[in-house]
Amino acid sequence: MNGTSAGPTVPPGQPTALLEVKDLSCRFGGLLALDRVSFALQPGEIFGVMGPNGAGKTTLFNLITGVTPASGGAVCWRDEPITSLPPDRRNRLGMARTFQNLRLFEGLSVLENLLVALQRQPRSSTLAGLLNSPVHRRAEAQRFERAWQLLEELRLDGLAERQAGGLAYGDRRRLEIARALATRPTLLLLDEPAAGLNPTEKEGLAELIEALRSRHRLTLLVIEHHVPLLMRLCDRMAVLDFGVRIALGTPEQVRRDPKVIEAYLGGAA
Amino acid sequence: MIDHGLLVQMLIGALLGISVYLPLMAGQLSLATPAFYAVGGTLAALLSTRWAALGASADGRFPLPSFLLEVLLGGVLAGLLALLVGRLVLRLQGIYLAIATIALVEIVRVAILNLPLAGGAIGIFAIPQPFANAAGYLLPALALLALAAWSCQRLESMPLGRAMAAIRADELAARCMGIDTTATKLSAFVLSAVLAGSTGALAAHFLNTWNARQGSFDVSITTLAFVILGGSRSWLGPVMGGLLLTALPELLRPVGDVRLVLFGLVILLGPVLFPQGLITPALLERIGGFGRQEAQG
Repeated sequence: MNGTSAGPTVPPGQPTALLEVKDLSCRFGGLLALDRVSFALQPGEIFGVMGPNGAGKTTLFNLITGVTPASGGAVCWRDEPITSLPPDRRNRLGMARTFQNLRLFEGLSVLENLLVALQRQPRSSTLAGLLNSPVHRRAEAQRFERAWQLLEELRLDGLAERQAGGLAYGDRRRLEIARALATRPTLLLLDEPAAGLNPTEKEGLAELIEALRSRHRLTLLVIEHHVPLLMRLCDRMAVLDFGVRIALGTPEQVRRDPKVIEAYLGGAA
Repeated sequence: MIDHGLLVQMLIGALLGISVYLPLMAGQLSLATPAFYAVGGTLAALLSTRWAALGASADGRFPLPSFLLEVLLGGVLAGLLALLVGRLVLRLQGIYLAIATIALVEIVRVAILNLPLAGGAIGIFAIPQPFANAAGYLLPALALLALAAWSCQRLESMPLGRAMAAIRADELAARCMGIDTTATKLSAFVLSAVLAGSTGALAAHFLNTWNARQGSFDVSITTLAFVILGGSRSWLGPVMGGLLLTALPELLRPVGDVRLVLFGLVILLGPVLFPQGLITPALLERIGGFGRQEAQG
């Protein structure tokens, strides 16, 4: 299991992967940020990505979600290549993400942040909206209902009218998750969800992610520095170091992998 | 001091202010409004002076339906042009978009200047009048302004307007939330053009003459000043700015040439004293969320 980056990760005959990353590379000028990284996500699993700072974790997220173009390799969604699709199309296929440095619509209210993400749930035409037709009003009612459900689920309902930019850090993190969920994803990508949270919030996060997985039937891809959280949460995980996938397997396998120990404790270990 | 003619000019100012504001709602600084204004105006001037079928009226006045048709066509033509050009220029961001749209204004100006039908530098004269006097234009101008303001207000509580606000706040995050940012920006650009085109058609009749200078770079800056002075967080801002800054030079006429200096001072001091414009979010809050989306449960 602790193979190197090359070679297919899913042998033929296994069920279709939700997302497959094949030999994905990303080059910024002279820097090879990702070097032929491959893995596949099975529906319903929580898959962790860990690695030291600068290992290429966020770059991997940007390539998967279409924010950064890949220099080589492919991203496949249910066996269809999507490497050239823009981020909005990928979101509509069913992948939603959060950002390591939080990118909320800060000037908008908490509720509006969700309404933006709910604009296709359900769809209604611009003309219907301008005329405020019954079709539009029904669609709006559904959007508001769904938004309030998500706000309650993430314990943000008391803050609905507040400006997103003025929230406490933990609330902003949860709002980003709520906003991503509003687009009805099948795959949720969380970029360091525990970063900046206090110990109590970190404790609650693992349960929250577990609960979200079952309630929303999610597959999750989680980048995290907080190793105990990842070990506890993930079904499988990959470890990146200098853009190369150095390990892949269950948390137990990864924990004992000599390459991982070396990457984290230094070459002398 | 304020006669009907000035009132109509002020309303035209407010309309052009909203036209600049619409792309800004999606975070796009477009200065193309005068180009679309010129397209609409030139179309109306040409149609009403060249196409006899439009002007067949018993009392010698230009028929109202023809006038309204021109206002509509001016908007449609400008909108089509925006649809074509927008796909190209909206790939640019920030100041580059502003420069590209200034270039568009210049291209349209020079094109109209050299259009054989449009009378060159002298322009088109004696554009027929649908109304007996300037006061007649008040109603259509007010109606157009009401329609534009109402559309802006509606946008706030519908997906297109929310997508525009999201792009203005964070374009990358908006894309990752499934918003087709290209289509959204293009919609805002086209709406802006339609409004400017219709306003141009109305203005051509109101002004009685029309030439290529109506849509020049100066107008880009003046209309941008409407939004900057008025505020860019609600449609009320550009309306305020358009009304005030159009009226000011006329109201200052008694003081002679000093008025140009005073006008300049207002444009200079406006942003210094009111960095968010006259209509700020806090002010909107106080007057009960008017001009801004109401919170609903």
